[in-house]
Amino acid sequence: MARSNEEGAAWSIFGYLLSGLLVWGGIGAAIDHWVIHHNHWFMLVGFLLGMGASIYLVWLRFVKE
Amino acid sequence: MRAFAFEGGFVPPSTADFNLPPAFGNNEFTTKPILLVFLSVILISVFFIASSRKALVVPTKLQFAGELIYGFVRNDLGKEIIGAEFMRFVPLLFSLFTFILTNNIFGIVPLLQFPAMSHVSFPYVLAAFPFIAFHYVGIKKQGLGHYLKGIAFMPGVPKAVYILLTPIEIATFFLVRPLTLSLRLFANMFAGHLLLLVFIMGGDHLIKGVIGLKLVAPFSFTLGIVMTFFEFMVQCLQAYIFTLLSALYIAGALADEH
Amino acid sequence: MKGTLNLVGYGLSAIGPAIATGLIFAAYINGVARQPEARSVLQPIAFLGFALAEALALFGLVLAFVL
Repeated sequence: MARSNEEGAAWSIFGYLLSGLLVWGGIGAAIDHWVIHHNHWFMLVGFLLGMGASIYLVWLRFVKE
Repeated sequence: MRAFAFEGGFVPPSTADFNLPPAFGNNEFTTKPILLVFLSVILISVFFIASSRKALVVPTKLQFAGELIYGFVRNDLGKEIIGAEFMRFVPLLFSLFTFILTNNIFGIVPLLQFPAMSHVSFPYVLAAFPFIAFHYVGIKKQGLGHYLKGIAFMPGVPKAVYILLTPIEIATFFLVRPLTLSLRLFANMFAGHLLLLVFIMGGDHLIKGVIGLKLVAPFSFTLGIVMTFFEFMVQCLQAYIFTLLSALYIAGALADEH
Repeated sequence: MKGTLNLVGYGLSAIGPAIATGLIFAAYINGVARQPEARSVLQPIAFLGFALAEALALFGLVLAFVL
């Protein structure tokens, strides 16, 4: 199992965190770009939201059990 | 990037040093990385055919070396991580490991001295193999719908949270995994080659300078040699990690998680 | 000279999470080496700490590119 291997788990945590940032930060940046121009607030919110969501996901996958 | 040139004329190594001209005439399919990749395939084939052709009960040194590498991939990467069905994936893992290892080590072999993996296109293609393999295995084992459901929907979460988590899960499995797999290998090889270039080219420039600079040059060369050994470690480690993560992804797809 | 200071900033900001990750896994290895049966207790804590430290490093990485 993947979870018994620390190195693999560490890299997959890294992957989850990165994709959380990219997805929600990307959505926020897209809103900034297409809806409101010349502003970065939605991207910032997206980053925080994505990071929160991926830490929650990491908690679900690796900590809860 | 060439704008970095200082007054003394020292040109720091940059990305331009990785775009080598074609070796023969104008044919752009004969650049150094491509030739090195072909050379690595020939070397791996010759080595393992020679080491396994006349397999004896009491192995010769060559056979022992071949079996050591094969045993390492089969037992430590295949059996340990994938589990019962590991034998199907040993050829894939073994090819990946030996191919990446040989090409990485070419980065510090005198005269060759170029890791082909420092061109990002090679790791992209290499990461495609485990990527296709683990999705194929997962779909075949669990069925398409069940496999995708296992990826996208974590059990034990309130329904509203899926809006937040599902995009992350899908992006992780289909985008970030192959991307990080290839970029990790690329970045390590690229940075390592650049590091060696800095110390060797810097030492070369220092030794041509005034007397004070000549005295410092040996330190630069020494550090270049130390970094070469460090690079050897990194190269072996990266080949190992690439194969390890491929095996882990396959194991994850095989395991019926939910 | 040409270039962007963002990358220098990212390099500086990566020092903290690097040390943090090192400390977390050092403590985890220490704990498991002293008491191997504590592994299942320590592992989730180590992973959560690693995730929190790594989050900051990734913020630095992403912000270095987008700002």
